[in-house]
Amino acid sequence: MKLNWLKVATVAALIATIGLGSVQAPTKTEAASKLSGKIVINGSSALLPLTLQASNEFKKLNPKVKISASGAGSITGPQSVRKGIADIGAVDWDATKAVPGFEAFTGQVANKVAVTPFAAVVNKSVTATSLTTKQLQDIFSGKVTNWKEVGGKDADIIVVNRAFGSGTRVNFQQKALNGTDFMTKGSNYKEVKTSGDMKTAVESTPGAIGYLDFAYITTKMTGVSINGVAPTVDNVINGKYKVWGYGYYMTKGQPTGVVKEFIKYVQSAKFQNGSLKKLKFIPLSAMK
Amino acid sequence: MIDTSSTAGQIDLGGSLLTGSGKPFDRKKRLFVMNRLFRYVCIAAAAFVCLILFLILLLMFRTGVLTFGEVSFSEFFLSTEWSPETEQYGGLLFIFGTFALTLLTLIISVPLSLLIAVFLSTFVPTWLKNMLRPVMDLLVGIPSVVYGYLGLTVLIPLIRDVTGTGMGDGLLAAALVLTIMVLPTISRISDDSISAVPKKFSDASYALGATRFQTVWKVLVPSARSGIMYAVILGMARAIGETMAVVMVIGNTPQLADSLLKPTSVLTSNIVMQIANVPFDSTWNYALYLMGFLLLAISLLMIVGVRWLQGKGVQQ
Repeated sequence: MKLNWLKVATVAALIATIGLGSVQAPTKTEAASKLSGKIVINGSSALLPLTLQASNEFKKLNPKVKISASGAGSITGPQSVRKGIADIGAVDWDATKAVPGFEAFTGQVANKVAVTPFAAVVNKSVTATSLTTKQLQDIFSGKVTNWKEVGGKDADIIVVNRAFGSGTRVNFQQKALNGTDFMTKGSNYKEVKTSGDMKTAVESTPGAIGYLDFAYITTKMTGVSINGVAPTVDNVINGKYKVWGYGYYMTKGQPTGVVKEFIKYVQSAKFQNGSLKKLKFIPLSAMK
Repeated sequence: MIDTSSTAGQIDLGGSLLTGSGKPFDRKKRLFVMNRLFRYVCIAAAAFVCLILFLILLLMFRTGVLTFGEVSFSEFFLSTEWSPETEQYGGLLFIFGTFALTLLTLIISVPLSLLIAVFLSTFVPTWLKNMLRPVMDLLVGIPSVVYGYLGLTVLIPLIRDVTGTGMGDGLLAAALVLTIMVLPTISRISDDSISAVPKKFSDASYALGATRFQTVWKVLVPSARSGIMYAVILGMARAIGETMAVVMVIGNTPQLADSLLKPTSVLTSNIVMQIANVPFDSTWNYALYLMGFLLLAISLLMIVGVRWLQGKGVQQ
């Protein structure tokens, strides 16, 4: 008798849970829950924090949609889209036009999704945190090798660079270094694959300098002021800080179906002024 | 079914196997078909593996060899200028890096592993041996990215402090990480082969008045030579092909390493750094495939070497 009672109670509880769950679910996602499908996103690791955040939120709204996002470097994005490996290729420049070193990708559409601000970053041990364009050029081309030459302590400069193919590298080279070539060899020079690796390297190497988009900057490193202008979101918006670029989602032709909905979500005012801002990207509307 | 078993109850299973029960599809025929079928499936599986190996080699070679449409043979193998952005495809620095790294790893790891193997096989009481061997086996199974991460966070700051260099990335860091990786492999297999030396060898040696040290270095180790070589080549193959751990500590700068502490690059690390970023159908892409083919060729040669040594075995 006692056992039966327990059974009944359990079953009742189960039914209640399932019932409540199924009642609750539609109220939350009634409008968009019809949407289903799979989106594969590859490309820029600078945009990756934004893509991940957006895909988490989008998946919550549309539980039937599967999104897998990864980042390896901007050029991977349009390449994967061309090969059909990815539906969306995140890239830090407009890949429908040629930029130095990279050809244009024809047949793809660039969907503007964010403004990505970039900054030169130095390890906490470095005291020279305000540099001129000339000094940055000299450091990244290998002409200046000691921090004391640019007003810091007597310590070697360790230059950390992104590998060729990175959109952060393209933007930084064009906008912070005015197109000056990077050094390619030296005892204190290394290349890393992604923004995440760059972050680790600059955090853990005393005397290191590198560059990142704002989303990756942590308290263990310092953003370098360029020509006296601090790398802040406000300075980008008011036009004083020049090192920024648009982030794009490349698609094969005009986006359709679930991909279109996802891009729409990222471009929506709610996401642009909410999560995107929190990640230290800048809403598209702010730059007009 | 029940009918058959009751009437033909006298015939045992072995009989039905030999003579068959006369039915159109009886047990004998079924077994015959099944055996044949199973045999073909097995052959197909074996052939499939060979086919895969062949296809991989073919793909790597066919794509890789396209490099030489644009780049001369001597440039790829003799130049150390690798900057594909400006059409310079000198692969020598990576090939040199791979060989230098492997050699350095072996110089550090072989003597150490040999000592461990001798210790495990001759000096240790059985109970401790039974404890240590599983520990070594576990070490073999640790994923390489873990070793790489430890190298990045522990070893490199240490090298920085000890040597006073700015970075610490380079051949030395990579060789030390690889040493820790291949140490268990080499020492466990050497240990097995030293243990396999017949007891009469050491008995005879002791009977002639040799000390333990003399017995180990003049009898046991030389007798187990082919097994030890086998272990070294296996360790070498792992060191050559290792990617993840190396890419984290080598610095990835395409320059010839003229110092142990200079950031450089090897075949594996260069491929993994660049393969995602190169345009398809470009010479750059072909050159990376060619590097992959070189790696494959090197490790295949080593495996052939291993088989050859394995055939020799311990001479009784």
